[in-house]
Amino acid sequence: MLREEPPKLRSELRQTWGVFWAQLKIFLSYKTWVVTETLSTVASIAMYYFMGFQVRPGQLVDAGYGSSWLAFALVGVASTHYLWMCISRLSHTMQHEIQDGTFETVISSPIRLRSYLVGQSIRGFLVSGYFMVGALVVGTFLLGAPLVLNPGTTLSSIALLLLLVSSHLGIGVIAAGVILVYKKGDPLTFLFAIFTEFFGGVLFPLQLLADYPVLWAIAKVMPYTYALEGLRKVLLTGQTLLHQEVLSTAALLGAYTILLIPLGLLIFRAGYNRVRTEGSTASY
Amino acid sequence: MTPLSKIRAFIVRDFKSWWTYKLWVTLDVTGTVVFIATYYLVSTIVSSQKVAEAGYTLGGYFSFAMIGIAFQQYVFFAVQGISESIREEQWHGTMESILASATSFRLFLLGESAFRFIIASYFLLGSLATGLALGAQVYLNLGTVLSMVLLTALLVSSHVCVGIMSAGVIMKIKQGDPVVWAFSWMTQLVSGVFYPLGLLPWYLKWIGYAFPLTPALDGIRRCLQGGETLLSPAVLMDVVSLVLFTAVALPLALWVFKAGYNSSRTDGSLSQY
Repeated sequence: MLREEPPKLRSELRQTWGVFWAQLKIFLSYKTWVVTETLSTVASIAMYYFMGFQVRPGQLVDAGYGSSWLAFALVGVASTHYLWMCISRLSHTMQHEIQDGTFETVISSPIRLRSYLVGQSIRGFLVSGYFMVGALVVGTFLLGAPLVLNPGTTLSSIALLLLLVSSHLGIGVIAAGVILVYKKGDPLTFLFAIFTEFFGGVLFPLQLLADYPVLWAIAKVMPYTYALEGLRKVLLTGQTLLHQEVLSTAALLGAYTILLIPLGLLIFRAGYNRVRTEGSTASY
Repeated sequence: MTPLSKIRAFIVRDFKSWWTYKLWVTLDVTGTVVFIATYYLVSTIVSSQKVAEAGYTLGGYFSFAMIGIAFQQYVFFAVQGISESIREEQWHGTMESILASATSFRLFLLGESAFRFIIASYFLLGSLATGLALGAQVYLNLGTVLSMVLLTALLVSSHVCVGIMSAGVIMKIKQGDPVVWAFSWMTQLVSGVFYPLGLLPWYLKWIGYAFPLTPALDGIRRCLQGGETLLSPAVLMDVVSLVLFTAVALPLALWVFKAGYNSSRTDGSLSQY
């Protein structure tokens, strides 16, 4: 009688949908936030548009990215922002639950932690997708960034974006685990956000780092570097997944996914067990 | 307890809380260094011609961007900090306890913002030091440094008004403060943080003049990159703009704050999030 029943798939899906729907309703209830974030996206892309007037295109052309710095920066800024919003979602939620003292309520309810995490993540993907598409639309159609958009490049970009997120999902799970233990301010995702912008070459051609061997080595270890390079090849030069270079980037991101997700789950489990043993799930 | 000792108590409390999270402190510092380093590399592909045409002759684009980033981040952290601390008090349900104590709200606001400005100043100096270490060039003599200090003080006083206004708004609407938004993203777009104002169309340039960061950045750059001082008419005009902004914004900010505070007290949502 006291034995726990194995979860049914249908009930898990319902739980996931419930978590997602609740989070979406909370998101939409903060209307001012939605409006200001949308305007921020437009403002930031407009800022890069004006900044582009000062850039000498020579080095961009030499590096094979074409002559438009706006297009170059747009792909970098939109993808890094998308990734950061997706990945930080879990750790951000975890911090809120702990801060509000509701984390114990969540884990002691019949809801499975997996459904909870997946529901939160879907909300993160949708909301960040909205901002990314907004940035690309503003940059391409309002400010004239010359992106190569056709069915082949669109499908290849979507595939690379999915691989980009999956290859970083492990980092998001690690950050959530770190928050469980240290409570404060998702340090890993913050570090990740500033490092990806620098080491990924979001605003400058990565070749500029080649003169600094240590920085170059760090850049080459990060999966984002490869994902951004692949996305730029697709959206700036019109290559697709049928090209050897883009395909090897996709394969590499797949390898990062296989390596990082189990590692992330392992670290999250360790953090989860530690706070349960210490009895500090609700302490802040 | 005297008002001064109460403010000191606020600063000590916030410092202790900040220092507890050493990892976070390290990351804050790393973030500032990496941000400046990013624009160091960006400056290698950017032409300094537009910057020189605007009258900022020494140091080229990197010095221009370093000053823009350092001071924009400075006021953003400080303004955001005030509304954040109000949100935190609401979140933890401690705002009512503070208001029920013998501390006036004016003192409470001052105390909440004091540490934020101190820590923002620390990061400002860190950003400038990082920039100089990476090769940024500026005019450093008694005249330019004193002029810069005065302009920074005026920048702070004008943004204290913005912070108070923001605290009043956040008390009412809880999240998505449009004041903080305007002073973060809008200033990056129209105040000449990353490019000279000459690149903007006339209507955005005019919007830019409504923000105190615009004359402050112009004045500071004229001093540090152009070698001018307060005796120069252009810098003096920037000072007058900042004083005028503060004179107009202070009563307005206090009115907005009072309206937000009274409205939250009336509908009983002081501790609600």
